[in-house]
Order: sequence, then structure tokens, then C-alpha cells
Amino acid sequence: MRTAYRWGILFLCAVALVFALGIVVGEATDRWLFGGAMIGGLLIAYSFVLLLLRKMGLVGPRKAER
Amino acid sequence: MNVAADRPGRYGRMMTSVLRGTLRLDVLINRIYPTDFNPLYYTGGLSNLFLLILVLSGVFLFFYYVPSLGGAYDSIDYITQRVPYGDIIRGIHRYAADGFIVAVLLHLFRNWFTDRYLFSRDNPWISGMILLLFAGFIGVTGYQLVWDDRAVALTTMFAAMLQSIPAIGPLLVRLFLGGTGVSDETLVRILMLHIFPASTLYLFLWWHYTRIRHPKIWPPAVWVLFCVGLVFLLAGLIPATSTGAAAPAVRPTTLPLDVFFLWPFALLNVMPPGAVVVLLVVLFVLGLAIPYISRREAPPQMGVRHAGVAQVIDGNCTGCELCYYDCPYNAIIMVPSPAPGLSKAAQNRTLLAVVIESRCVECGICIGACPFEALELPKFLERDIRAQVTDALRPAEAVRS
Repeated sequence: MRTAYRWGILFLCAVALVFALGIVVGEATDRWLFGGAMIGGLLIAYSFVLLLLRKMGLVGPRKAER
Repeated sequence: MNVAADRPGRYGRMMTSVLRGTLRLDVLINRIYPTDFNPLYYTGGLSNLFLLILVLSGVFLFFYYVPSLGGAYDSIDYITQRVPYGDIIRGIHRYAADGFIVAVLLHLFRNWFTDRYLFSRDNPWISGMILLLFAGFIGVTGYQLVWDDRAVALTTMFAAMLQSIPAIGPLLVRLFLGGTGVSDETLVRILMLHIFPASTLYLFLWWHYTRIRHPKIWPPAVWVLFCVGLVFLLAGLIPATSTGAAAPAVRPTTLPLDVFFLWPFALLNVMPPGAVVVLLVVLFVLGLAIPYISRREAPPQMGVRHAGVAQVIDGNCTGCELCYYDCPYNAIIMVPSPAPGLSKAAQNRTLLAVVIESRCVECGICIGACPFEALELPKFLERDIRAQVTDALRPAEAVRS
């Protein structure tokens, strides 16, 4: 399962990179709506990366649950 | 009135099946997310997150907004077309408002279905209902501020609803409009009616948390990233737009109505304004009454005992703060100790526990928290509990012998 999570994180990082490039493109071409949507996509991708890291146990549960 | 007492079983069974459904949903989501990431455990925190997004984006929009008949629509148009990322910020404000209402409604239904409104929890419930009322009102005035043809129609309909209130209706309309008709003054008042209740939301939040010891006021990072990302994404993909510029002489035949904030105005198609006002008042009053009328069981069926407010045994209190941290109802505070205690452990204390009687629910958690026998429930003493345990064990001993 950890391997699947690892591949998932790699995939999401690649997607996040595309969104980051999208932010640059949006800013360079003054397409603010596009840039804003790319910021949103990037944050959502990060949220799933964090979820997978948590499922892998790399970011721990709260102190009370240890 | 007690529903459970009047109609034993029926209401209780329905609420129990809803509770089971809610818990099943919890279990399902816990299979996907770790328990500390389950969004249903953070509906209050998610509401706070959306509220903060609303405040920050609202401050940005406020800098550019011109509250006048001639300037409001143009200033919104300027924000959308000319200000860098203005269209995104406007969209964020719009979608965060929807997110806020969705999170608040989830919070309300979850707490209702899981019985978290009974006894001492009526305080957060009632403050929560007022928060919901204010949130709905702020949403309506938000749509009016844009001052497009929908805003004009909403203002007209809102004035008609106020007018229908007996005795004080005309006065309320004059106060709302700032005169006998719509003018620049009206927009200033609508702006104030948008910002002032929004500011008081934090006051009601303070009241909301007063009696909760460990409130989850913020969601985990996963959900902060997801929700902020979602409002950005929606703002970019489905931009918030105005309808046509306001033309008071032209009465629009159809209006796009937001399902979360503007549903009372849709009712005006089928009901007179007075009936809509009565319906809103009845819904609000019923909402406030839920802690008192919608118990699935009566207190005797729940085995509620009246153990008396917890009492601190001064001589034994060491000021260790364990009861203070364990009390879920914020009913214990620590004060500087006026004198040393009597027991050996309490000789060097600097603090003393004090019970706030109005907050104590007589649950006995503090008794369990205290290792120094410094707390008691006066009508449910430790010796009584020991006697009950002994009685309960007696048949087992008889069988064994």
C-alpha cells in the first residue's frame, strides 16, 4: 500500500507542478481568472499530498492519539 | 412540552435512526480519511475557516466599494474588470459565503442528530441559531450591495416584507431605506447592515464557545488547503457575475436566486410577504426551542440524576488544575489560593479550584479527575457510589459462593 501512496504523491507533485506553471502563465498573460483557478488547483493537490503523507504515517497523528 | 413524553417512541425512533445513519456516515468517512482528518468532526472549524476567508476577502472588496446609487455597480465592475485578481477575490467572497452556510448547516444537523444540544449545551445551540440568522441576513445584504437589477428587486421585496410587519413595519422600512425611497443613503445602510452583523458574528462565536472546554475551532491542514483551494478554483472556473445594471423603472420578470441565502424571496412567488415573515419567525423560534422540545428521551428515561453542583473541599485542594482541564463545560476556574490547604499535599498550593455553579452540569467528571478527594457531588457522595457498586456485585458473589 505504501508503494501506491508513494506513486500517488509523485503523481500529485507532477500535477501540482503543472498548476504552478499555470499560475506563472496566468500572471504573465494577465489572465487572472485562469491564474486564480490554478492557485486553487495547486492547493487542492497539496491537500491530497498531505492526506497521502498522513496515510503513510509520515505526518503523525495528534499527540493525544499516539 | 416534551415530545418524548407526549409521543413516546415515534419521535425517538426517528431520531435514533437518523443518529445511526450519522454514525454510519462517520464510519464510512473514517475508512477513507484518518479519524483526525474526518471533516464531519470539524464542521464548526470549517465554518470558522470560511468566515475568516470572508472577512479577509471582504476587507479587500471594501477598499474599492462605493456605497452610492451611481457608484456601487461601477465599483463592483471596476473590481471585477480592472483590479488585479479582483474577479478572483470577488468570487472567493461569493463561494466562501456558500461554503460557510454549508458548513454551518452540516454543523447544525450533526449536533442535532447526535443530541449535542441537551442540558448545558443549549447555550451553544442558541448562540448557533443566532449566528445562522445573522449569516443569512448578511448573505442577503451582500447580494443587495452589488446594486444590479437583482439587488433592486431584492431591496423592493425586502422592504415589502418589512412593511408587512404590523405596527412597526413602516418605521422599519424608513430606517432600512434611509427615507421614503431608495437613495444613496440606502446603500450606506445596506453596507452597514452587511458589515456590522458580520463583525458581531465573532461576538456570538465567543458566546458559542463560552461553555465548551475544548472546542475544535480550526480544521486540520488538509481541509484548510482543500477549502481554500476549492474557493479559488470555483472563483476561477465559475466567476461571480452581476446581472444587468440597476434600472429601477424596469421590473425584471425572472431573477437568479441563490439557494442558500435567497430562498425566502423565492417563496414570495407563492406567499404574501407577511406570510413569509411569519414563516421565518416560526422557523427561527422552533430552531431556538429544539433543545427544550425535541428530546428523544425524557430526563428520567436517560437516567439523569440530580447530584447537586460539585463542591470543592477546600482543605484537600492542591491547586493541581486537573479538574480545571478535565471539565468539559468550563465550570471550574483556578483562583489564587488565599491560604494553604489542610492536607499535606495541599500545604504548598498557590491555586484553588472554584466551581461556577451556573455552568456545572453535575456530571462528576471533576470527581474522577481529582486524585486528592478535593471534590464531591453533595447528593451523590463517594460512599453512595461504593454502596451501589457493592449492591451490584452482591448477586455475583452469591452465585460464586
